Amino acid sequence: MNPNTVTHGRAGTSAIDAKGLVKRFKTGRTFIEVLKGVDFDARHGEMTMVMGPSGSGKSTLVAALSGLLKPDEGRVDALDVDDLWDHSAGRIDKFRLDNCGFIFQGFNLFPAMNATQQVMTVLKYQGVPKDEARRRAVAALEEVGLGARLNQRPDSLSGGEKQRIAIARALAKDPALLFADEPTSALDGENGQVVIRLLRRAATEHGAAVICVTHDPRLEAWADRVIHIEDGRILDDQRRTPDPNATLGSH
Amino acid sequence: MSLALSTLLYEWRRYMAAIVALAFSGLLVLAQVGMFMGIGKAFTATIDRARADVMVLAPGSTGLFNGGPSGVPRRIMPVVQSHPDVVAVADLDGSGGRWQNVVEGDAARKTEFVQVTIIDAVPGAVTVPTDYSNDLIEALRQPFGVAVDETALGRLGVKLGDKAIYNGKTVRVVAVTRGYPNMMQAGVVMSRDTLRMLGEANTGDRVGPLMVSTKPGADPEHVVAQLNAQSRGQFKAWTRAQLGEANQAAMFKESFIVIMLGFSLFLGILIGVAITWQTLRGAIMANIKEFASLRALGVSMGSLRAVVMELSFWVGIAGILASGVLTWAVSLLATSSGLTMAFPIPMVAGVCVMLLVIALASGFLSLGVLKKSQPADLLR
Repeated sequence: MNPNTVTHGRAGTSAIDAKGLVKRFKTGRTFIEVLKGVDFDARHGEMTMVMGPSGSGKSTLVAALSGLLKPDEGRVDALDVDDLWDHSAGRIDKFRLDNCGFIFQGFNLFPAMNATQQVMTVLKYQGVPKDEARRRAVAALEEVGLGARLNQRPDSLSGGEKQRIAIARALAKDPALLFADEPTSALDGENGQVVIRLLRRAATEHGAAVICVTHDPRLEAWADRVIHIEDGRILDDQRRTPDPNATLGSH
Repeated sequence: MSLALSTLLYEWRRYMAAIVALAFSGLLVLAQVGMFMGIGKAFTATIDRARADVMVLAPGSTGLFNGGPSGVPRRIMPVVQSHPDVVAVADLDGSGGRWQNVVEGDAARKTEFVQVTIIDAVPGAVTVPTDYSNDLIEALRQPFGVAVDETALGRLGVKLGDKAIYNGKTVRVVAVTRGYPNMMQAGVVMSRDTLRMLGEANTGDRVGPLMVSTKPGADPEHVVAQLNAQSRGQFKAWTRAQLGEANQAAMFKESFIVIMLGFSLFLGILIGVAITWQTLRGAIMANIKEFASLRALGVSMGSLRAVVMELSFWVGIAGILASGVLTWAVSLLATSSGLTMAFPIPMVAGVCVMLLVIALASGFLSLGVLKKSQPADLLR
């Protein structure tokens, strides 16, 4: 565990609690209900995996939980904020800035910036002083195993390395909530394994509530909890014992 | 280094169209300003480089020859001369007429109307411009010898040593001057004695504008104020600098120049904004997912707008630099062909501000594209 780590909440306490989430999208003249009254909760120190086929509403659920997409009905209580969606857009931005990390399927790194700058940029917007930001950026990059790649730009890095920068960018904030959307699907088995282990560590060592959306059943091995969602409804919710040493074959 | 600046430096190819558009907008305006200012400088060359510290003109006149009658009654001369600080007074005589070159065989003969100004062909005389060499003055001392500016040689169809016909009398080109271009009408310089021999010297009640030199140490502005106090509406005295400015300002009141400059300013801004805006838009769109990921991580829309505005600021700075290089190249080209361009600091500063405003306006127009940075779109 790196020395900057802040451990959030007590492992096992509730980090996010959503009730009755409904989201409809308009297509032509009809509305499609993507979330049909979903209840969801996630806890500190746990990796919660949301699985389901494409179009099942799993990404919409994460967007609603993380303050990116306002649900039509229902409420989200996250950390110490009651009814997140009752707040102004600016307050929700601030909530995300303070508490949320995101890892996407694409890496979304600025081509002009080297690894350290990518991580420092977000810290700068958090108001972290420059020297402190640099120290934390380097520590985060070392934690994801990129200590030797601090000054490389994305175009000279592999896909796995880019995703690790994106993870370092999310981890450097010490987020209490870490959202990952298909974090391994653009990666080969080896890099995918590195990435899922880092997410696992964020939960175990940093105490973050990690919410990971995937359709890859092999990632279940690392999860504390697996939620299957289909057609906008939760089908089942299983608790399991994670295996941090699980291996992911090439896919 | 900021996100905006490092993006511009690293992805300069993407922003090149905007920078080039700004550079050419700047060039379009600067080259014309430079040209008109150059013409203006040539317009005022005889004033700027005169040996006289004070000039006395007809009231309402702002130029020695261009811009209406400039002469004063002959009896004003002793009035001016009697001022205790005045050392020398001479009237700047002038004339004008038909110029024809002398050609051999059946080559085309050129006929031009020329404007004649005189000097007293004595080194140090108050009518002799400061940049005239003694050799040039000596050459003009020859009877019927005239000097022609290098930019007028082609128009008048002569070269050094050629004979020509001026108002039916033969004159000879004994010298070629440099730096006295005249866009309107070719100018010819001769000595006062030559003008007299041609029968065109002023002998009447009125003389041309008076060229006045003052004692070393005297304040020309003071002399001008005292002379004007006793003018009773018959003349107006100017210092050299005042007259130069008034002369140039008068030129810029010419409506065609204002229309041309105004139109190219409008065109420059229009083209600059259109291209810079679209280029910035495209470049931001290319990074829209990265911006969206910052939005997801909680960076506010306002901060992203600030990044775009900073980016357009730097594009503006790059455009100003590129514009400077282009204008410099064009002015070298112009100078090598005898056309002096002048770039007064306030005009250049104005164009720099214009380019920066174009860049920032384009940035402002591109802000809308940030709306597409929806972090929820990154989730699939």
